[in-house]
Amino acid sequence: MALLKIDNLHVRVAGKEILKGLSLEVKAGEVHAIMGPNGAGKSTLGYVLAGREGYEVTQGRIEYDGKNLLELEPEARAAAGMFLAFQYPVEIPGVNNTYFLKAALNAQRKARGEAELDSMQFLKRVREKLAVLHLKEDLLNRAVNAGFSGGEKKRNEIFQMALLEPKLAILDETDSGLDIDALKMVADGVNAMRAPDRAFVVITHYQRLLDYIVPDFVHVLADGRIVESGDASLALKLEEHGYAWIAQRKLAGAA
Amino acid sequence: MDGLLEEFGRGDAQARAESWRYSRHALRALEQQAFAAADGNAALPDALIERFDWPQTRGHRLVFVNGVLHAALSDASTSGAIVESDADGARTIRFRGKGVLHLVFVNAASTAPSRWNARLDIRVESGTAYLAEQHVGTEGAGVLGALASAIAIDAGAALKMVTLGDLPTSASLVRCNRIALADGSGVDATHALCGGRFQRFDIDAELAGKKARFDSRGVFALRGREHVDVHLNVRHAARDTTSDVLWRGVADGRARGILHGAITVAPGADGADARLETKNLLLSPHAEIDAQPVLEIHADEVKASHGATVGQLDERALFYLRSRGVPLAAARNLLIAGFCRTAFTHIEATDLRGPFEALLDAHLPQQAGSSE
Ligand SMILES: Nc1ncnc2c1ncn2[C@@H]1O[C@H](COP(=O)(O)OP(=O)(O)O)[C@@H](O)[C@H]1O
Ligand SMILES: [Mg+2]
Repeated sequence: MALLKIDNLHVRVAGKEILKGLSLEVKAGEVHAIMGPNGAGKSTLGYVLAGREGYEVTQGRIEYDGKNLLELEPEARAAAGMFLAFQYPVEIPGVNNTYFLKAALNAQRKARGEAELDSMQFLKRVREKLAVLHLKEDLLNRAVNAGFSGGEKKRNEIFQMALLEPKLAILDETDSGLDIDALKMVADGVNAMRAPDRAFVVITHYQRLLDYIVPDFVHVLADGRIVESGDASLALKLEEHGYAWIAQRKLAGAA
Repeated sequence: MDGLLEEFGRGDAQARAESWRYSRHALRALEQQAFAAADGNAALPDALIERFDWPQTRGHRLVFVNGVLHAALSDASTSGAIVESDADGARTIRFRGKGVLHLVFVNAASTAPSRWNARLDIRVESGTAYLAEQHVGTEGAGVLGALASAIAIDAGAALKMVTLGDLPTSASLVRCNRIALADGSGVDATHALCGGRFQRFDIDAELAGKKARFDSRGVFALRGREHVDVHLNVRHAARDTTSDVLWRGVADGRARGILHGAITVAPGADGADARLETKNLLLSPHAEIDAQPVLEIHADEVKASHGATVGQLDERALFYLRSRGVPLAAARNLLIAGFCRTAFTHIEATDLRGPFEALLDAHLPQQAGSSE
């Protein structure tokens, strides 16, 4: 059974239809890459999955882990194992990172009927995960993303993912703006978490990340729907020919 | 009939009217009552005493009940402060070298509305003085307190100050700090204003000596029909002076906040560096905050930045927290508290940060449930 099943999804944002009949199935254990030109609707898909307000589903349905995802509040989705690594992580001055992460983890655990972690247990877990991403411990005492460099913000997203151990992680252009070292750290963080009961949807604009996180499937998202799907080699073809190539093939196919 | 405005306002009639524009109604409403003189010998409940009887400030604490020094509760023997009083009851506290003092002002209510006035001046002659000023009270027919302080910092000396205005809903308080800074001196103050029926706080800082520095941090967190009016007037009157003002305001319910921040750089105050930032958060459609920035520059080579905003909770930040699993109500509380805490970074003593955060926690609107 699929962990995530998106069927004919239509989404309107600020009065404009952005997703126009998108379908996608992701099984546990799989890594899917979604590639596509700017403005295609990739981030929109991530936001809809995570439950952001203002993203109105006008048609279609999303089933996640046997549930109707669209009925759940964002926090309930998180507790059910959904995680979105933001393309633009939000700076929140005044809110301490440790406090926030502990509140988030324990709220999720509580919602799942698991015991909450005490400070010692929590810190132990935090230190393990920080090490994987080569993040300094002083990050914990800072405010959430406030004053972080672009690379720190992206690594912090992956650190949060590692800490929260989701079932389905959507990474929205986590690679953009990273130098090659940071990119490898992010890829290491993701690869360390690949597991039979966990799936990833990796949204990216460039093929580069997929050298390090090798996907099982690659999809091309253009103009609000998936226009092409294939294995990892599709990403290489895209890199070579550009997105225009897909558009041309579609035209040729239609003719 | 503007008796209270006559009394509390400063400057000519026009200046008074302008400065009290948003609080005139609140004053008039207070004026409808017949005030008795507040009782300086009122007995204090134990629960109230516990709120200011911090073990770490025993031996350097002065307690005023309705403006009158309470001898039994006061002991400043280890404070390093010299306390003088003049004939009409006004006091001056002098610091030489290091000093630490906890000042407590109790608004003790009785069965009829009452009021008190006090004058307490502070002079730091050398070294650094640490001052924690706390305003508390008991619920009752309502007390209107007025406290005026002239604060003089001599050349090279410094004052680090925190003030906590934590009032019962029936109490009103009008405060004025007139600060004068000599050469190379500094004031670094953090204020929190919560509760009460009406609070007005005027902070005038005159950077009179070269290289003087003034830092002001503050927060008000309001709910119900609370009304807080803060007026900051910073005047750079000498060369190479620095001011840095950062305030936060939050209003829920039908509360009313006013945050007036004015910077003047006088002729000759070349090389002044002035920064003023106020940010305000409205949590209810019936709450109101007026943030008025005023900037006047009459000198050369001045760096000045200046911003005042009034907005709502950041939807993106709220979604970010929720997407990590923090429930809506908790996420809102986290954001509101975080918004306020950015004004507490100058509190050096960690044991003083505690009371500030506790005060905020008690006064920030608790968003129980997600319905609104
Ligand atoms: N909150 C929003 N308000 C208005 N338009 C939006 C909003 N979010 C996205 N869009 C529009 O939706 C389209 C898709 O955006 P997005 O999902 O961010 O694309 P991608 O991530 O693929 O670059 C763009 O045309 C963008 O301008
Ligand atoms: Mg995007």
